[in-house]
Amino acid sequence: MLQYLVILLDDTSAAYCHADNPLKERNLMPIETLKKGILFGMKQNLMIQYVFPDYGTRDYELPKEYAEVIESIDNVKIYPAGCKPVTGIEDGNETDVEVTNEVPEKVEAKNLLLRLPFSKMLKQKDEIAKLFASGVRINLCITDVEQFTDGQIEAYKQLLEEWNGVLLGLYKQGLSPQFNLLTDRMMLKEMHNCEAGVSNITLAPNGKFYLCPAFYYDERMKVFNQLNHHQPSSDNSVGDLERGLDIPNPQLLRLDHAPLCRNCDAYQCRRCLWLNRKLTWDINTPSHQQCVMAHIERNASRSLLNDNRKVGEFMPEIDIKEINYVDPFEVRKEF
Amino acid sequence: MTKIKENQDSWQSGMAKNITFIVTKDCQLACKYCYLVGKNVKERMPWEVAKTFVDYVLDHETDPDFAYESVVWDFIGGEPFLEIELIDKICDYIKTELFRRNHHWFNSYRFSFSTNGINYHEKAVQDFIKKNRDHLSIGITIDGTEKKHDMNRVWKQPVADDNGLTKPSERGSYKDVVKNIPLWLEQFPGGGTKVTISSADIPYITESVLHLYSLGIHEVNINVVFEDVWQEGDDLKFEEQLMQLADAIIDGGYYQDYACSFFSEHIGKPMDPERDNQNWCGAGKMLSVDAAGNLYPCTRFAQYSLRDKEAWIIGNIKDGIDKNRLRPFLTLDRTTQSPQKCIECEVASGCAWCQGENFDAAQTHTVFERATAICLMHKARVRANNYYWNKLYRKLELEDLREQYEANKRKVKPEIC
Ligand code: SF4
Ligand code: SF4
Ligand code: SF4
Repeated sequence: MLQYLVILLDDTSAAYCHADNPLKERNLMPIETLKKGILFGMKQNLMIQYVFPDYGTRDYELPKEYAEVIESIDNVKIYPAGCKPVTGIEDGNETDVEVTNEVPEKVEAKNLLLRLPFSKMLKQKDEIAKLFASGVRINLCITDVEQFTDGQIEAYKQLLEEWNGVLLGLYKQGLSPQFNLLTDRMMLKEMHNCEAGVSNITLAPNGKFYLCPAFYYDERMKVFNQLNHHQPSSDNSVGDLERGLDIPNPQLLRLDHAPLCRNCDAYQCRRCLWLNRKLTWDINTPSHQQCVMAHIERNASRSLLNDNRKVGEFMPEIDIKEINYVDPFEVRKEF
Repeated sequence: MTKIKENQDSWQSGMAKNITFIVTKDCQLACKYCYLVGKNVKERMPWEVAKTFVDYVLDHETDPDFAYESVVWDFIGGEPFLEIELIDKICDYIKTELFRRNHHWFNSYRFSFSTNGINYHEKAVQDFIKKNRDHLSIGITIDGTEKKHDMNRVWKQPVADDNGLTKPSERGSYKDVVKNIPLWLEQFPGGGTKVTISSADIPYITESVLHLYSLGIHEVNINVVFEDVWQEGDDLKFEEQLMQLADAIIDGGYYQDYACSFFSEHIGKPMDPERDNQNWCGAGKMLSVDAAGNLYPCTRFAQYSLRDKEAWIIGNIKDGIDKNRLRPFLTLDRTTQSPQKCIECEVASGCAWCQGENFDAAQTHTVFERATAICLMHKARVRANNYYWNKLYRKLELEDLREQYEANKRKVKPEIC
């Protein structure tokens, strides 16, 4: 069921997931579009998540009339680091998310979304580990999943083992660190994926809906020109504010229509539909890379859970089984 | 000439990897129903491409994608025998390499052809047949009576257009094919033919099948096209034709020694969503290569067979296969791609699909959206099929021949692609 409406306030709105935002020109969503978008969200009972512009400077303020419209409804704000958006009303929402592509020294928000390529993550592992104790929820998003090779599996395993050590130390001190790649899976009893097009939908400044911002970027960059709808076209939209939502083959976005994922228990995996389409060419089929990375994380979570249990009772209702594969594709015949 | 025996031992149906060379996109004919929309005279496979491809395949002997007990090397076109010299060279190379590498396919391979039969009698083709006799299967396509055959299977115009594309002429090809049938049947006594039915062909089904039987062809594999070509009322006309055919086969006693794939005891039953969930077609388990060295999960994903979509290229002979692009094919199952009506369908078994047509007709870029243009046609087939078996078994019981029939009945392997 649709629950969230992501509104990209500007073409430059901060990238907050796997895809970089290649759009650098300012293009604010027209205020009328914004109002209609909010109305759509209200009528469909959707929680609104605004993604704020990244103008590459901390000195910006949205025009006053925008601030008023934005705050006309309860919302979550996703904004580039250091630019707590000035909207006129500071409501300091617990769920607001600060996004950055650099490992920060300190974090002001309650949620940090850190976007890094794999190599940078390896290089800055200690700086990242320092953030675990900050009391802030850390979401790390790897921005070059498609480049990941089997030759890097060991390095990733080792890195997560090291971080497990840091997290275990914090647990022992009675703290409850939150780090998506390692602590989420320990808490989950079912899939908790991105669910683009299923639980959330994105409204772009052009007044059209997209499965997620990445599909909007692709359309603007004319990527996947040949890979979309019936007629070759770069149109990725799935409806607009006038016609409403119109998602072709919506069932293929759902977990029950993804033969690999519905049999998988890497519950913390993003299950990124955009990466699926980019790498396997089918939106319901994950790439080897995505599965392998998610399974290394899953297995590391299992070992963190077990280490925690050596110290005392810990999440007794969660069971993460031992498995001997890192890509469910290898065991698909056993499903 | 001696009969060519079908070497069943070395041939493990179902456990064979199917490898297809699209040796040419050219053909002497320009059949009106041909799904090859981009057929042309330009793209012929260079020897270097074929050789590099064979090397690639044989180098990957232990790769799970190639770890099949046996292999079928399929040569298609256009018309494959237009490139008989190239094919001969490729087959020689394959045999030499299998031997040299001590490859596990050495005694477990087959060369397979589907030809329009026009140059079947020519020396080069005949020499090739003699040389490879124990490892060959060849099917000649003939659509039925002269009238029916010539409705669709016409010669192309002698001159291609500026883009190298070929157009149909008015001249039918029946006579040019039928003259080679006796020779073919002498060499391949069990030879079967493939007949494709489109809307306009429906009235000719019965006479066509009987005609093929009269030519000595014992196995007629016949399918309706998967494309959305059907007109209102076609299903009823189809049912009527199939009932006529059923009467003719039963009353004429053909059911003993002849087969027609329309009638099968296994079709028309509900299917269990869990037990019967496998995919129908073999796309993804097959591998095709074209003249440019591009690789496809099946030839139906090459550009010349697609109307609305770009080719689904999974790699090329230099860089190999991008396995990510094969994953959708290898994880496909029946229910995920089927609409609810098919999952609940009371007559689902035997209702086929073609992954390439599904892809081509899909609303999005996916192989998980099943096209159901044949829905009413399948239901009509099931009704006629039920009639056939009820009538046949009653007759056999009255004649006290049922047991004997069961013991000797021909097994037909439906060919669907
Ligand atoms: S589909 Fe989901 S996980 Fe993938 S880029 Fe879009 S929002 Fe992120
Ligand atoms: S690990 Fe792979 S199969 Fe499992 S949820 Fe993620 S993408 Fe799907
Ligand atoms: S296409 Fe029609 S006949 Fe075939 S399975 Fe689906 S509902 Fe049944």
